[in-house]
Amino acid sequence: MSTTTKAVDMQIPLGAQHISLLEPVKFTFTTQNEKIVDVGSDVGFVHRGVEHACSSKFEFKQVGFVVARICGLCAITHSMCYTAGVEKLLDAQVTQKAKYLRTLLIELDRIHSHMLCLSHTCENAGFEAMFMSLMGDREPVMGLQEAITGNRVQFDYITIGGVTREFDAQTAQKIIQVLGQTQKKIEGYIEEFQNNWSLSKKFEGIGALSPEGAYEYNAIGPLARACGLQVDVRNGLDYLPYKEVGFTTITQTGGDIHARNMVRLYEILNSIKMCRNIVEGLPEGEIQTKVRGKPQGEVITRLEAPRGELMYYLKGENKKVLDRVRIKTPTFATIPAMIEIFKGQDYADAPAILASFDPCLSCTAK
Amino acid sequence: MFKLKNFRKRSLWILHYNAGSCNGCDIEILACLGPTYDLERFGVLNRGNPKQSDMLLITGPVTYRSRERVVELFTQMPEPKVVVAVGSCTCTGGVFSGMYNVEDGVDKYIPVDVYIPGCAATPEYIIDGVLKGLELLEHKSKEIVKPKKLFKKLSFHKDHIDRRGIAGKVGENDGKD
Repeated sequence: MSTTTKAVDMQIPLGAQHISLLEPVKFTFTTQNEKIVDVGSDVGFVHRGVEHACSSKFEFKQVGFVVARICGLCAITHSMCYTAGVEKLLDAQVTQKAKYLRTLLIELDRIHSHMLCLSHTCENAGFEAMFMSLMGDREPVMGLQEAITGNRVQFDYITIGGVTREFDAQTAQKIIQVLGQTQKKIEGYIEEFQNNWSLSKKFEGIGALSPEGAYEYNAIGPLARACGLQVDVRNGLDYLPYKEVGFTTITQTGGDIHARNMVRLYEILNSIKMCRNIVEGLPEGEIQTKVRGKPQGEVITRLEAPRGELMYYLKGENKKVLDRVRIKTPTFATIPAMIEIFKGQDYADAPAILASFDPCLSCTAK
Repeated sequence: MFKLKNFRKRSLWILHYNAGSCNGCDIEILACLGPTYDLERFGVLNRGNPKQSDMLLITGPVTYRSRERVVELFTQMPEPKVVVAVGSCTCTGGVFSGMYNVEDGVDKYIPVDVYIPGCAATPEYIIDGVLKGLELLEHKSKEIVKPKKLFKKLSFHKDHIDRRGIAGKVGENDGKD
């Protein structure tokens, strides 16, 4: 009997429907004895044609609510990024209070999105109890969003000229209380993620990306910050008061799943701190200002979504309907880096690595 | 006496597929399975396998590329089965209706038993809808349910129905699809 085994390329599909996937995406892994040597990806299953509808069917006042339906997880960042662009075109002035409330909701959204990603990573690593625990601790944050905006997922909170609602003193008290509880929980999770054998040891060194690789393959968001790159759009934003509310860039070294988890956990802590500063130091004033006119000209706006940099290009010709709405989403930009990370890893780790990217395919395909 | 019907009532397995939704309803389904809403207390488990599932939870307005998959998953599920459409866009197309790559609503392709409205559908609604579907499941028979479009033909392998051959591909039949 011959003992030599010949390396045979084997194709394993993951998707379009798979238990570890929330959304349809198809990866075709070419493997040699469990090791992944090549990856092909197909992300277009959820393409709906939002960009075209935004520049033909809907008026510019409605588009903010349509682009929110691109993605349920980062709906608020989509509508914020669009609204900021239109406000620049219309030369609209937004009150300081509205800016603070917008920042509050974006950061609450980031907290719940990161917690969902962490719980999903745990589930795909086989740690069901941690998944349940994180999902349970995420619910109070969802409750806060419901208390402030009236809806749990699709808020429709940001409109051109301001925001739709404000909260009373009782809700403010509740926000502070829930944020305090969540902070304690997250500190516990940081301890757990660093020291628990089945989490830290399982994730360390898996799915690693070097800083040079991250730079070369255009990694953004938590993926790049886990490699030590200082990439965060929130640093240089002029339309949201991030500097005043205590924003700091979180970076880690290592670039593996563990580092990505730690970036997300520390970012949650930073977001909690910012939310608390906003609620305690909320300026007085109106929440909505009247905006007149129609958009004229071109503009590019950027915003840090939970998964990385989101970019909008808008072009208006002094009509009710915009000429062009171009959306560049974070997951689309990270696909080359994802494919690079997959190469050389075990196939058994593929779902966990995929979950650690926190991919958002409905953003990608639009 | 051994009655499969009674057991099925207490251990409903669901299959979840996203046919182009915005993720909003999907994360609410995930929240339902979490500890706060805890759909599992009714014996409901999320299994990614169509061949073992009793209920298809479907979200999204059905994009052109996902329609074959929707029909394929539907036909792979053994009868009796229930289809629950979660979210406004799944029921009617919602905000996406009329976009060039979207079919307005999942009921153009497969028969739907329960419609859950809302953008995004709240976990309370989803729980109500799933339990309504569970009631309907008791009255369903084992007769083969055909999808409304993309149905090829019933093919038999020995004396069993070969479920691989039931679902058609777009443009395969007669150009009507």
